Amino acid sequence: MSSSLEQIVMSTRSLSSTGDFKELTALLPKHIEILTRNHQHLDNVLETLDLGHHSIGMLAVMYVKMNLFANSNNSTLEQFKLLLPQLQEFIHCCNKEQVLFAWETFADLCHLITNQLIDFGIPITGIKLMMKAIRKLQTRDTHLTAVHADLCKLCLASKCLKPALKYLEKDISQIDTGEDAKQFLLYFYYGGMIYTALKKYEKALYCFEVCTMTPAQAISHIMVEAYKKFMLVSPILIGKVQFLPNYTCNLVKRHVKRLCAPYVELSNVYCTNNCDEMKRIIRKYEESLIRDKNLGLANQVLNSLYKKNIQRLTNTFLTLSLTDVAARVKLSNIAEAEKYILNMIEDAEIFAVINQTDGMVVFLDDPEKYNSPRMLAKLEKEMEECVELGKKVLQMEEEVITAPTYIRKVCGGNEQEEQALANSPAQNATTTQVQGKQNTYTM
Amino acid sequence: MVVLNNLEEILVKLEEEELNSDDGSVNPETYCQMLAIYLYQNELCLAKFLWQRIPANVKMACSDLRKIWSVGKKMWTRDWEEVHIALNVEWNANVREIMQALKGKVQERVLKLVGDAYASLDLVTLSKMIGMSLDKTKEVAEQRGWNLVGNTVKPTKAVPKSNASTTETIAEEQLHKLTQFVSFLEN
Repeated sequence: MSSSLEQIVMSTRSLSSTGDFKELTALLPKHIEILTRNHQHLDNVLETLDLGHHSIGMLAVMYVKMNLFANSNNSTLEQFKLLLPQLQEFIHCCNKEQVLFAWETFADLCHLITNQLIDFGIPITGIKLMMKAIRKLQTRDTHLTAVHADLCKLCLASKCLKPALKYLEKDISQIDTGEDAKQFLLYFYYGGMIYTALKKYEKALYCFEVCTMTPAQAISHIMVEAYKKFMLVSPILIGKVQFLPNYTCNLVKRHVKRLCAPYVELSNVYCTNNCDEMKRIIRKYEESLIRDKNLGLANQVLNSLYKKNIQRLTNTFLTLSLTDVAARVKLSNIAEAEKYILNMIEDAEIFAVINQTDGMVVFLDDPEKYNSPRMLAKLEKEMEECVELGKKVLQMEEEVITAPTYIRKVCGGNEQEEQALANSPAQNATTTQVQGKQNTYTM
Repeated sequence: MVVLNNLEEILVKLEEEELNSDDGSVNPETYCQMLAIYLYQNELCLAKFLWQRIPANVKMACSDLRKIWSVGKKMWTRDWEEVHIALNVEWNANVREIMQALKGKVQERVLKLVGDAYASLDLVTLSKMIGMSLDKTKEVAEQRGWNLVGNTVKPTKAVPKSNASTTETIAEEQLHKLTQFVSFLEN
């Protein structure tokens, strides 16, 4: 073993034993560089380290191993299968407190593993591993780590979507602020795709929206793709293209539409409620839709337009014959019209009764009177969620207000003032709290 | 009905088995059961993706798997007549119970739908939709108190059962919750 490697082992051991993990993490880039240069001795280094005590040192070695493997041209599945158990053991048994210091390298390692699993066509075998990795990086279960996106990616690639739902359903209250927002954007983009695949359009729309409106100084490709899907999911769910919220940054608002012109045209045509025109436009842009892998979704938009047109009939008519329905909505025959209506009744999208003897449809009003215990329970549940959210916002506000950096900024960095203020942050917090509440009342 | 009571538990076990496997695939019996349970739970999207990720050679080798999925395909398009035709085959022991229960569930679902959606419909259509003989269909319709005029059935809407027990237990809990809401708003 060369002397530089010995030095790495020595410093890893001494810094780990004194608990100086911050210092050790700062040395990581240098260590990784040296290890990469001396890659033939990696296993020797590994032998001198203990997984429980020197997790950061192990992380460096694992990262170098994986990185070399990923970048070599002649890596095979067999080689990967030899490497995988080592990686699995590391992720399962590493010391959580230590790897938290070096979470960025840990996450990079996970990205590398994820990509290799997908390249070798065995993404499903990595799902459990990434779940474990997320647990290592999470400080609480509403914490969005940089590995979440990897899990979603594996789920999508393996078409096994259920494991990701458990994570997607959590409302996030903490995110890792790395140097780039890629993982954050990817998480919501993939999340939206997973929900779209499972036809949970409401949540899908939310994910795509978060992805598109993330504050940015330049438009990411991920945001553009998310906005494309946003414009397709939105008509399916609410029958029109929803506007991006006001707080979307101007840059995105200004440019994003230009970048997805076919989709803007598609949504304009949707607003005219003309199914034939819609079909034409889908055919016209078929090529770019296929390239974006959005053709299936676009066809679902067309399908939803038929349904919307049937729904619109209920505004005008009380009864209508099936023949008329078919003609007005431009369906090919009565049977198809009956099928559409039947399915819509089952999904409670319209309220109607079909009479087969005389071929008439009677449109009814929504029978929901909002007076059932079920509705009350729903209301209560939603109010409870709102209360929870309100509490969380107050709590976060308090955290910000009492943070030393914030106080320093507000008070212009005067040493004496700072001292005086440091004694009374609580008081400070309460006054702002009162102000905050007054605001809510006026709203 | 041992299996049906802890279907969710069985499903979790099967899903774990798949995730823990070395190469990502499991034996055909496991796939069959998972697929059948997804259909029973009406999780058609999950069933569809399961079908898509089953390796092609497993699909080729296991005729049961293909039979179960043909039911799923018809459920996807909500072609009830075809669903019953696809369901009327001999099932292997490991999925028999679930598939038979699925049949009952689909019948119940269709009957509810018919009750909601039709003022009148042809007896033959109805019998096809629930996959029963004409005589049996008549019997079922009469049980539900639907009028039969010649060959036309006139369904009536099922009255949703009002849950009396919930209204009783609600009072005290309700008060507690209301107090919580008010105290939140006031503070």
